[in-house]
Amino acid sequence: MNPIRSRTTRAIAVAFVAGSLALTGCSEGSKDKKDDKTVGQENAKEQQEALTFATAEESTGPAEPVKGAQQGGTLTVYSQDDVSHLDPGQIYVSDAGLLSTILHRGLTANRVNNDGTKQVAGDLATDTGLTEDGGKTWKYTLKDGITDEDGDPITSKDVRHTFERQFAPFITDGPSYIQQWLAGSGTDYRKALPDGPFKGKHLPDTILETPDDKTVIFHLQSAQPDFPQALAMAGYAIVPEKKDTKEKYDKAPKALGPYKIGEYKPGKSLTLVKNDKWDPATDSVRRQMVDKFYIEFNHDPGDIDKHIMSDRGVDQAAIAFTGGIDTSNVPTVTKDKAMMARTIQGYQPYVWQLNMNMDRIKDKKVRDAITYAIPNGELVRIDGGSYGGEIAGGLLAPTLPGFEAKYDPFNKLKKPTGDIEKAKQLLKEAGKVGMELKYAYANTPIRQEQAVVIENALTEAGFKVSKQEKDQATWYEQMGKIKNGLDLYMTGWGQDWASPGTVIPPSYDGTQIQDGASNYSHINDPKVNSEIKRISAITDPAKASDEWNKLHHYIVEQVNPAVPLYFTKQFMIQGSKVGGAEYNSFTSYYDWNKLYVKK
Amino acid sequence: MLQFLLRRTIGALVILLLISAVTFVIFFQLPGDPAYLSCGKNCGPAQIDLIHRNLGLDESIPVQYWEFMKGIFVGRTFEIGQCDAPCLGVSFHSREMVWDTIVDRFPTTLSLTVGGFVVFLVVGLGTGMIAAWKKGTLIDKGFSSLSLVLSSFQIYFLGPIVMGLVVWNHGWLDAPKYFPITDGVGKWFLGLLIPWLVMSTIFTAQYTRLMRSTMIEQLQEEHVRTARAKGMSRVYVFFRYATRGAMIPIVTILGMDLSGLLGGAIVTELTFSLAGIGRLAVESVTNIDLPLTMGVMLVGATFILLLNVVVDAAYAYIDPRVRLG
Repeated sequence: MNPIRSRTTRAIAVAFVAGSLALTGCSEGSKDKKDDKTVGQENAKEQQEALTFATAEESTGPAEPVKGAQQGGTLTVYSQDDVSHLDPGQIYVSDAGLLSTILHRGLTANRVNNDGTKQVAGDLATDTGLTEDGGKTWKYTLKDGITDEDGDPITSKDVRHTFERQFAPFITDGPSYIQQWLAGSGTDYRKALPDGPFKGKHLPDTILETPDDKTVIFHLQSAQPDFPQALAMAGYAIVPEKKDTKEKYDKAPKALGPYKIGEYKPGKSLTLVKNDKWDPATDSVRRQMVDKFYIEFNHDPGDIDKHIMSDRGVDQAAIAFTGGIDTSNVPTVTKDKAMMARTIQGYQPYVWQLNMNMDRIKDKKVRDAITYAIPNGELVRIDGGSYGGEIAGGLLAPTLPGFEAKYDPFNKLKKPTGDIEKAKQLLKEAGKVGMELKYAYANTPIRQEQAVVIENALTEAGFKVSKQEKDQATWYEQMGKIKNGLDLYMTGWGQDWASPGTVIPPSYDGTQIQDGASNYSHINDPKVNSEIKRISAITDPAKASDEWNKLHHYIVEQVNPAVPLYFTKQFMIQGSKVGGAEYNSFTSYYDWNKLYVKK
Repeated sequence: MLQFLLRRTIGALVILLLISAVTFVIFFQLPGDPAYLSCGKNCGPAQIDLIHRNLGLDESIPVQYWEFMKGIFVGRTFEIGQCDAPCLGVSFHSREMVWDTIVDRFPTTLSLTVGGFVVFLVVGLGTGMIAAWKKGTLIDKGFSSLSLVLSSFQIYFLGPIVMGLVVWNHGWLDAPKYFPITDGVGKWFLGLLIPWLVMSTIFTAQYTRLMRSTMIEQLQEEHVRTARAKGMSRVYVFFRYATRGAMIPIVTILGMDLSGLLGGAIVTELTFSLAGIGRLAVESVTNIDLPLTMGVMLVGATFILLLNVVVDAAYAYIDPRVRLG
């Protein structure tokens, strides 16, 4: 998943509720702590449960029915923004990824079973893939009876086309894991097929092999045990060769899933209707219960809540697209039992951290002093209280395997208000009392309020803080510049799938420092770099996970490139006639494949 | 008249050209590169270069400006299709033709503006005239105090209150929504009623006060007194003489306020979740979307310039002393 980018918060729109945000923050904090433990910890436990690979038999459709499900009806969905992309190749961010769970299909797919267990299942493929060499070569066989929305069968040619078009210059927004595994790291992979498949050239059989209409074999450059999980990303869903309209495909893709585009008014609304060519017998992940999804854009977060909270007319069968309950409405919802009964909660994969620019703050004692001083509890309170997040002791999210809930080397959990004394002492030891820190924050109400808290804490600890407010829309661009001239800044990062291997390398690999890259602290530690290389090559997922967690300890305790701040949580409300409302930890929103409309 | 129109048109074109050039130059001076907004996780200099190429940002600024301006007259060709004149380019963010997007959103903003305009004109001038007619009475004092209070009610303050009361708590009306007038006048009217009333409140209040004071002033003019002395009825003099005189300052301010109303559309559209040009303007800035910013600026400016020409022409109609030429 991308860093939390600008589209999640609209500076200008949000500015109007600035006042109410501040008020909520003050009144909610302490009271929420009870729920924090109960709901939060349960979610965390559930979400850490290991992911398993479904067998071929388990990958056969139809999907297990949702209890009490009813057929028919229209589900209204409110969204602030239009969908970023509809072309699978361009889909990385969560909004489009969510939509693709009912629109598109790939070789594998993620699913949450009725008993809450999480699996990667064969989707268009009969299983999650066969490998006989520890994950370097992966073989997939397509199921029978799969067609696109026009009824045209999907063959291995379409799979080949899907992966080859990822090399074309117009595909820039999607994930690049598989292209890199197939043909080279960074953007070097593009050289293997500079124009994609559009000028008659193809990847050689030594990279991608399609011996017959049903079989696809991927030859990776190195073993990748997570390959089936990468394949399940929305970005690798199938684009039928004959239907590919290149740049235009982004507005009118062909569906393989249970729903297809009925009407799309860009910037205004999107209606999804049943795809009658979809065969439930081929699909163990998706269902087709509601007649129509009507997604309406241009609704600001507070407005979406008001619609659904009022629970009148069409709003009885309405949900938010990706927006959680606005901080200003959290108290109203949590105080009302009836409203709380129609909410869902769960951990998002994001961890907020306060990056310390290691090019500028070279003394670890100073970094530790900063870390001790920050009052994490206050920061969480400002960002929605316990319904919006939870204090982070480390830099890995509760959604990752091996998450240690009690890991707390800097006493963040024990002292949510910060440990100023310890910070003062460390700063004195370092001989840097009065050191100036250039601290940047984004111009949104929440960050502005948090900035005051951070400034006060650091000042109290003996630093001289100079604050700089920066534009939210270009936040990551500004922070991503190597010479950003700043000492401290907050960033959030989330996993692409449940493996620390999708978090640690992009954030802490010193060989990846360049303008625009996501090593925001500019950590360049020889041991971390070599460990990343070593652990990336481990083919046993359980062992790799253990090793990643050890490396995580080393990074946090021995290097300390960033202050762990808080894990973000999702809190959404649905209308009273929405059935099957369940949090899906893969998308971190409602599980759209389980939703139905109650009569 | 013809000479006047010609002169104003040439003036307007020069202004538009200046606005376009200034917007274009400012865009490139701002911090923020749109390429980063869609760069994904594998972001790096090579990826950024590729996106720049896709967006046409790899050319020099003058070349980009020339291409953009040329497109308005002769059209352009993009990967997603032909963009016929007047082509305002393809949005960096939505990858839609900017002209199509604006044409799609314009009716919403137009309906809002015209409706709001009618409300404040009718209600504002009406109450102002009544207050002037009943000068010194309880009615006058009531209207004057009310307008004093209402003139401080900003849209973003009043909007949520009205919404909370009328829509969310009591369900008297559905949440505002734009329906094309072709879907039914009633639907269109009810959908925009709340925004109209809210967005025009400040204007209504101000026009009440303005109309009242200018009317009272006019009623004390010598020609009005003469007319009354000649035996014309109070009603006739009120409407035929005083109102006409009062309209001159009103029309002057009207021209400016219409532009203000258009600007107010940004706040109105955000407050009521309506998809018009105002929201588009905000989105274009947040998304660092040059073609869309240019498009919205040019269309908005054209609209305002046109209004000003109309207002100037209206002077001549109302005030015989003004001659165009």
